Amino acid sequence: MGDTELELSPTQLEELQKSPSASSTSTTSSLSLPSSPSSGPRPLTSSSPSTSEGLPTSSPPLDVISEGVGELSLVIDTEVAKKACQEVLQKVKFLKVDGEVSSASSEPVLVNGTAHPESTDGGKPPKISEEEVEPVKNVRRRQKNNSSKQSWLLRLFESKLFDISMAISYLYNSKEPGVQAYIGNRLFSFRNEDVDFYLPQLLNMYIHMDEDVGDAIKPYVVHRCRQSINFSLQCAWLLGAYSSDMHISTQRHSRGTKLRKLILSDELKPSSQRIRREVPQPPPSCPPPLHHGQGMSEHSLSPSKRTHQRSKSDATVSISLSSNLKRTASNPKVETSQDEPVRLTPQREFIKSLMGIGKRLATLPTKEQKTQRLISELSLLNHKLPARVWLPTAAFDHHVVRVPHTQAVVLNSKDKAPYLIYVEVLECENFETSSVPVRIPETRIRSTRSVENLPDCGITPDQRASSFSTVPNYDNDDEAWSVDDIGELQVELPEIHTNSCDNISQFSVDSITSQESKEPIFIAAGDIRRRLSEQLAHTPTTFKRDPEDPSAVALKEPWQEKVRRIREGSPYGHLPNWRLLSVIVKCGDDLRQELLAYQVLKQLQIIWEQERVPLWIKPYKILVISSDSGMIEPVVNAVSIHQVKKQSQLSLLDYFRQEHGNYNTEEFLTAQRNFVQSCAGYCIICYLLQVKDRHNGNILLDSEGHIIHIDFGFILSSSPRNLGFETSAFKLTSEFVDVMGGLDRDMFNYYKMLMLQGLIAARKHMEKVIQIVEIMQQGSQLPCFHGSSTIRNLKERFHMNLTEEQLQVLVEQMVDGSMRSITTKLYDGFQYLTNGIM
Amino acid sequence: MAQTEKKAGLLRRTSSSKKPLKEKVVLMYDEIFAKEDPTKSNPRFWDELFLMKVNLEYLEGKLESLDGDEVMKIKDNINSLFHHCVQALGEEHQIKVVNALQTLCALFRGVHQKNKSATGFDIINMLMGFDKAELRMKELMESLDSLLCGDGSESLKSLCLKLLLCLVTVTDNISQNTILEYVMINSIFEAILQILSDVSSRAQHGYDAVVLLALLVNYRKYESVNPYIVKLSIVDDEPTLDGMGMVIHHALAEYNRQYRDKEEENQGGFFSTLTSMVGSMFIADADQKLSIQTNEAILLALYEAVHLNRNFITVLAQSHPEIDIATTPAVPVPASPTTPLGTTPPSLDMMNNPELPLDPNLQTSNLLITFLKYSSIVMQDTKDEHRLNSARLCLIILTCIAEDQYADAFLHDDNMNFRVNLHRMPMRHRKKAADKSIPSRPLVCAVLDLMVEFVVTHMMKEFPMDLYVRCVQIIHKLICYQKKCRVRMHYTWRDLWSALINLLKFLLSNETILLAKHNIFQLALQVVNLFNMFITYGDTFLPTPSSYDELYYEIIRMHQVFDNLYCMVLRVSTNAGQWKEPASKVTHALVNVRAIINHFNPKIESYAAVNHISQLSEDQVLEVVRSNYDTLTLKLQDGLDQFERYSEQPREAGFFKELVRSISLNVRKNVSLSTMSQDVLLKEFSSIS
Repeated sequence: MGDTELELSPTQLEELQKSPSASSTSTTSSLSLPSSPSSGPRPLTSSSPSTSEGLPTSSPPLDVISEGVGELSLVIDTEVAKKACQEVLQKVKFLKVDGEVSSASSEPVLVNGTAHPESTDGGKPPKISEEEVEPVKNVRRRQKNNSSKQSWLLRLFESKLFDISMAISYLYNSKEPGVQAYIGNRLFSFRNEDVDFYLPQLLNMYIHMDEDVGDAIKPYVVHRCRQSINFSLQCAWLLGAYSSDMHISTQRHSRGTKLRKLILSDELKPSSQRIRREVPQPPPSCPPPLHHGQGMSEHSLSPSKRTHQRSKSDATVSISLSSNLKRTASNPKVETSQDEPVRLTPQREFIKSLMGIGKRLATLPTKEQKTQRLISELSLLNHKLPARVWLPTAAFDHHVVRVPHTQAVVLNSKDKAPYLIYVEVLECENFETSSVPVRIPETRIRSTRSVENLPDCGITPDQRASSFSTVPNYDNDDEAWSVDDIGELQVELPEIHTNSCDNISQFSVDSITSQESKEPIFIAAGDIRRRLSEQLAHTPTTFKRDPEDPSAVALKEPWQEKVRRIREGSPYGHLPNWRLLSVIVKCGDDLRQELLAYQVLKQLQIIWEQERVPLWIKPYKILVISSDSGMIEPVVNAVSIHQVKKQSQLSLLDYFRQEHGNYNTEEFLTAQRNFVQSCAGYCIICYLLQVKDRHNGNILLDSEGHIIHIDFGFILSSSPRNLGFETSAFKLTSEFVDVMGGLDRDMFNYYKMLMLQGLIAARKHMEKVIQIVEIMQQGSQLPCFHGSSTIRNLKERFHMNLTEEQLQVLVEQMVDGSMRSITTKLYDGFQYLTNGIM
Repeated sequence: MAQTEKKAGLLRRTSSSKKPLKEKVVLMYDEIFAKEDPTKSNPRFWDELFLMKVNLEYLEGKLESLDGDEVMKIKDNINSLFHHCVQALGEEHQIKVVNALQTLCALFRGVHQKNKSATGFDIINMLMGFDKAELRMKELMESLDSLLCGDGSESLKSLCLKLLLCLVTVTDNISQNTILEYVMINSIFEAILQILSDVSSRAQHGYDAVVLLALLVNYRKYESVNPYIVKLSIVDDEPTLDGMGMVIHHALAEYNRQYRDKEEENQGGFFSTLTSMVGSMFIADADQKLSIQTNEAILLALYEAVHLNRNFITVLAQSHPEIDIATTPAVPVPASPTTPLGTTPPSLDMMNNPELPLDPNLQTSNLLITFLKYSSIVMQDTKDEHRLNSARLCLIILTCIAEDQYADAFLHDDNMNFRVNLHRMPMRHRKKAADKSIPSRPLVCAVLDLMVEFVVTHMMKEFPMDLYVRCVQIIHKLICYQKKCRVRMHYTWRDLWSALINLLKFLLSNETILLAKHNIFQLALQVVNLFNMFITYGDTFLPTPSSYDELYYEIIRMHQVFDNLYCMVLRVSTNAGQWKEPASKVTHALVNVRAIINHFNPKIESYAAVNHISQLSEDQVLEVVRSNYDTLTLKLQDGLDQFERYSEQPREAGFFKELVRSISLNVRKNVSLSTMSQDVLLKEFSSIS
């Protein structure tokens, strides 16, 4: 408020305070000045763009609420949102009591969210509010009839039990616009992460369901988009992907597409950013700066024009051509306050580059060529880093600083070219506001000296003239050829002895000193030979490099080991907030089903955790970018069973013994338990979701013994080429049973018991699982929804009608059936013949 | 380049035919040489002069014909001419700029040809006058700088570079070119970098810019502080370094391509290939590019970049698809001036990068691979002096690379596998290896292959001793890295071992001839110490236990060579003489090898005796070796993994001085021709304006 007072001219302020519902013209005019209010909810007035649009002031309370929500350009903290919701509830109650809406139109209800003037965003916001007003009218109309039913609902909605899952469910199932609008508002009170989980559902409803639902959701989405770049992009990508099943003609005009365009136009920026920039501007009485300010707001008005140029604040290398003589200076970083960053562009370009690489790789014939090309493309990408870009699959805020290009691998795929990259990032507070790290050249770790010794040589044109004499300490070329790695490779004299012996561990300190006294040291040739074989044996088993399967080696390397190795070789590795991430870039693949599977897996994981069933599954994050591209968070420390068998030439059980030790060692038993728990978890999932295409290339084995199913391309109603293989409930080969210790042994029984417990727990929360799938079926052409009975069949597989005893029998039957299943073996054989997968 | 040269040839003939005519410009030149101030008779004399087409030959000839006294008499006029040339560079009228540049070129060259004996200071005095020299040169360099960096015509930029090249190479010994002192003070380094960083200007002027830079860096390198060295050593802007790498890459790749074409043409066999190579080197004028000499400058630039700039090492590994330069004309990317370098959004570059054409048949390559291929060609024949120098420089560059940690890291990177088709000298006793079957391996394998190839193919009477020493040092440095970082390369070490043993054998059998010229004990010591590395530290870098067994097998198999070597060094070291000391070092170094031989030979003999076998198979020997390790004691030797770091001064200074001299001569020869051809350019401008 203080800020506001400072900025508004006294007369304007007076006017505002005198008449809260001041004429729209005066309000907007005063607010369109560059001195727009600062952050924080400000008790302005209910007079708003919507009123100024001349809409009938139908129901002010609700109007104001939706208004406030839509226009809340600043931080709506949960407190505020909660309060807003409570007020709505009160209003609704009030309506119920009266049975009729009291059209107290003049009542200037003050809501915490305030109308925020969109001085720079042009005509957009009024439009939004216009849309938002409409449903409110409908609400009022329909609410007359079913008020009694709603009172129960209200009690539920207000109760502590009401969580996001229920909210989504009511949003989807309720035909009541009032309820929908209420839930739309209520969304603000949930934690962002909780809502984010259901983002695909929300957006799919927005795209494919009727207007009321969409209108209820939109304010929330718009609000979150303003808050977060990441959310904006996620929304835009999902909207694009889920709109793609619509007919092309309707798609163009669908509101999903419209919203996507709105987001991508980058108009939904937090106004705080604008304000922060404009605050230092002197009041409008001062003409020249004002002009300057206008120039900038023009700038922000047309971000699309500038999309091809990364804004300066994002650029780490600032080289201006005008002062072309400064280029030897190490890249100075310019974070000008003048140049507002284009919010979404860097990240979009980054993703686009990654997808572009994937597309180009697909044109190359051999794996070897693909790998080489991938490495060279990534090394070029490196030149543009660090930048304000991040991996959306990561759990923390960060900036990408480097892609260790030589570590990237092309994954096994017949005609597409998915690839796995490792990405070095620096963790930061907030990737939107924290400054982008400064670029460190590849060789910089070792070259600090030569550069820092000669910092001002020829940096400015003025210095050029004098530089001839200002570099006295440069006398011979040893200086330039920095001495640092002499120390690294060649140890200085005093250390020579220890160094030459450092590999010969058995030497005592005595022998080193004795060496100094010139007594010869003798070593046994046998020891050298022995050490050689021992060291080779001790290194964790690695896979042999196979040009046809480049990923096997990379995936087999233990993650920690890889992190250490990459960190050592990275110029950024010394920074405490350095992290390594990895991501699989998929180009040409539809990941929407994968995302659906991820959600179901995640939900089941939560359920099992809640019910304390020790099942282990590993949902891996999916980022849908469009209907044919996306990114996957790789499972670390895991290789496919196919790769295990091909490389080790062992049975699964023998491989377990090789990796974890003999039967009764603790390591083996732990690995075995992990195997059983994960196996049971995935068997349930395979059964419930009808996951098909379960060959050994799609089942991973991690270093702790867990199995992890990947590739959910065939789930629910779809199966590969409909050959009718894989009729069993899930895949359970005799090899798996062997690892469990064999039929009817303790671990095997434990496995069956886990499955039963898991099913019972899942059954208890069936609705939560069904709802995820059901909502996504709306308007979808995905093969997993093929046919009309997908949801019904899914529900049936939960067997709500069976007693626990009956369920136990069912589990026995399924396990039995799967084990005896000839089709599993047949399918593996089929895969071996057609794809060479063991 | 080639085009301009050809044009040069044509134009020379036409211009010489014009000679008898007295052009107006010639009359005006005469006026300058006539002691009187030409503006007296014609106040607009200078304005008019630069509108005239330059007659370089006449001007140069005139200057040349003057003797010292005469020159002093017209000094004022020459000073004035120089002054006005510099002023004309700032003119808007481009014809004037062109003429001024050419006139300056003629002035520099004419004065120098005349004053072969005169000191640099006399020359400066004659051209600019002592009192004004500093100011004039400052103006000149600033004008050149702004012309090079401005948005002006590309031909103008090219002419500026030619002028600079001309100025830099007017003396045989670059360090005696006193005028360059002003080029040091008024640096044009930044302009050169800008040319290299921009894609389109790099394509057109990159070669000249790189050569110019290489030469400037060598100006009084050892005597004073050369700001170009300092600046080059701290450049860290990747696009620029990349650009430089790209220019070098293109030049070397172009040579490789031409060589390959030539070779394919002459599939007739060893002799014809050789003769055609030799022929093309000395006779064919059109194929001058194929001459190693032209690439000496490029190689020098690569050396300076690798040696001086740590950041350049990354450029070596910067892979890009091999581009056929002949078919890829400079595709200038419409570089918008508002987009500062390096701040272009990633996708823009990534998606439409002209350097990454979408051709699936392209093999990805990088500068290092191209350089290795080039080296393999150059090293094939070291009889010619230029080739010997180039081969030496290649090995020096490889030495620098092998010493660099980062370079070693990517050389040994398991994920960066490449097929490197090295050129192998056709030899009678070996088949031409099937190139296609070369597996994709880490780059260090290619380097080792190249070294092995060199060792095997150069055992001849004209023994290139210093090349051998460098070669063995490179191997040693690579192994030191592997030992230190415990990198286990799956390399066929056996090839290396047998090559080295054969080298020892050659040294032994040619002892008397070689000793007359070289210290063969130094080389022998290095070779033996390589074996000591394998013997005592093999556990840290050999790929498998059986490779350690193979090492012993190879030593035992070739034990006679080591025995003979021991006898020889023992003999020399017991006699007093200059070789006593180095020979005794070899004796000591041989202790472990001899221990192995003395330990296993009796065991093998007894094994043969017990089993009644006359000739043991390899497996049987390996079996004996394996079962008798434990009774063998070796002596740990000091400092096996230590090496002397490469340093240019003082050891290599002489070589580089000579190399730079040779490059200067060559550049001067080529530049002088192409400068004349700028008549064409003049026409271009006259038609515009």
